[in-house]
Amino acid sequence: MKLERIVKTFYDSLEEGKIMGRRCKRCGAVEFPPVLCCNSCSGTEMEWVEMSGKAKMTDFVLPGILSAKPENEDLMPYSLACVELEEGPRFNTIVCGVARRNKAKLLNELPVPVKARIVQRNGYKIVIFDLAVE
Amino acid sequence: MVKLGSYSRSVSIIGVGCTPFMYTLDTPETDGLTEGELFGYAALDAMQDAGVEAKDIDFYFHGQASPKMGSDYLTPNMQVADWFGMRGKGSIHHSEACCTGYLALDQAVNAVASGKFDIVLSGCVEMADSLPVPGMPAHFRKKFSMEEFLATTVWIYDRAYTRPFLSGPVIVFDDAAALYAKENKLSESQIDDVLNAMSINNRRNAAKAPLALCRKEYKDLAAEAGFGDVMDYMRSPHNPKMGEYLRVSGMELKCDGAAAVIVCPTEMASRFKQKPVKVLGIGNAAFEGSQVHLETRGTQEAVRQVYELTKVRPEEIDLFYANDFIITSHLISAEIAGYLPKGEGWKYIMEGRTAYDGDKPINTNGGRTSFGHAHAASGLADLYEAVKQMRGQCGERQVKRLPRTTMLRGFGGGQNLSATILRTAD
Repeated sequence: MKLERIVKTFYDSLEEGKIMGRRCKRCGAVEFPPVLCCNSCSGTEMEWVEMSGKAKMTDFVLPGILSAKPENEDLMPYSLACVELEEGPRFNTIVCGVARRNKAKLLNELPVPVKARIVQRNGYKIVIFDLAVE
Repeated sequence: MVKLGSYSRSVSIIGVGCTPFMYTLDTPETDGLTEGELFGYAALDAMQDAGVEAKDIDFYFHGQASPKMGSDYLTPNMQVADWFGMRGKGSIHHSEACCTGYLALDQAVNAVASGKFDIVLSGCVEMADSLPVPGMPAHFRKKFSMEEFLATTVWIYDRAYTRPFLSGPVIVFDDAAALYAKENKLSESQIDDVLNAMSINNRRNAAKAPLALCRKEYKDLAAEAGFGDVMDYMRSPHNPKMGEYLRVSGMELKCDGAAAVIVCPTEMASRFKQKPVKVLGIGNAAFEGSQVHLETRGTQEAVRQVYELTKVRPEEIDLFYANDFIITSHLISAEIAGYLPKGEGWKYIMEGRTAYDGDKPINTNGGRTSFGHAHAASGLADLYEAVKQMRGQCGERQVKRLPRTTMLRGFGGGQNLSATILRTAD
């Protein structure tokens, strides 16, 4: 096991247009966002692997007064969503293109396909998601 | 999968103490109270309840969610000892945000169960309605607005990914409500009414709880505002939506307060003043804010552990508490624990069956939306209420059937989950 800068590598990779996770060499589970070791089997031998960006939105809510942050206004409309990557990991993120007008339709169709997009924030890039089919 | 081991020796609660939950700055009688006085009062209240004195206590735990911001302390256990006669005795501070008070019991029980100490006090304090004034003595404090507080809640979330990923710190307001509505096919207006009914029930309970922060019932507030039907009031701009589902009435009322508990080996417990309440077990889980449906998953795991250890069956639970700083917690955790039937709990709530005078009482003190939320202290305030209910000492809010077995579900701190089972000692 080696001591390495995983967070920095992740964000540096986004600058190069790559979304990176880490795969466990023992059980094959992928950690995204990437961390030191495997949360599925406790394995410590991990390798960097590029994510395809394909995913599905499994649940979502719309932002309200408390949860719609002004600094994210450029991304509106969006949902606060649970997303599952094609490679397996699930996490909370945002999915753009979700609004009150298409909420009922999307709720009926869950899980719906989404695709990753790298966007610029103030001083760093992050991954968000868009509906794969409008 | 975690399998809890049995305690090396059984541990029981012999004393509980609690201050009123309050806005100390708002009344002349309480303006100027300090952390030491609040913690000390709760600790001494617990000692009087048990019939012990500070010289009898071997060790104490101190909980506070945000000691640097709220008290300008890094080692807050050191600053309270003298206030309740514990000068020179050992102590440890711990901090798990809104779950602190629930885990305060866990710490004390483990310390006694291990055999290291016989009598341990565990207390928590939070002055969440005000902030210290830099450079001034402790009785100088200034108001701490909800807006300022909300800006600090991000501190319980991971800086590497959860905060930059934009969702984890805020999805929590509505995630559990959305999931419950989806799984049980409730419409938007139905889930809205269920959340409102929980707020109404909590307030009915608090109205009978002398230590509660907010005791005016929603039906009276509705009448004052000219509404004939309380539910019309709850759906109105008097109770605005703050999230997609969460309304103001379903949010915590942050405030000031402290609470404490004293535990000892069950074999010693009958020597003291009160009927002992045994701690059968405490299950624990934790999921960071980036993890999906973390409250549901964490509660399932904590509940699984404690049921497996104690062999208690869900139908044996007589009384239930949930840290409901987001009101939905109250429903979903009671269903996960099997206290309310899965998918049917919302009907119990709508029918008022979960209020103090119902057959499935929940949060008989009013919970976080009415009793108040002095963040670290809330879990021990719930424990105070549970123990008093189990002794039959709650006066007009005493539940109909004397509870023998109680579960408390802790939640908080980006996010810890716990499930505690108490049983009246034979």
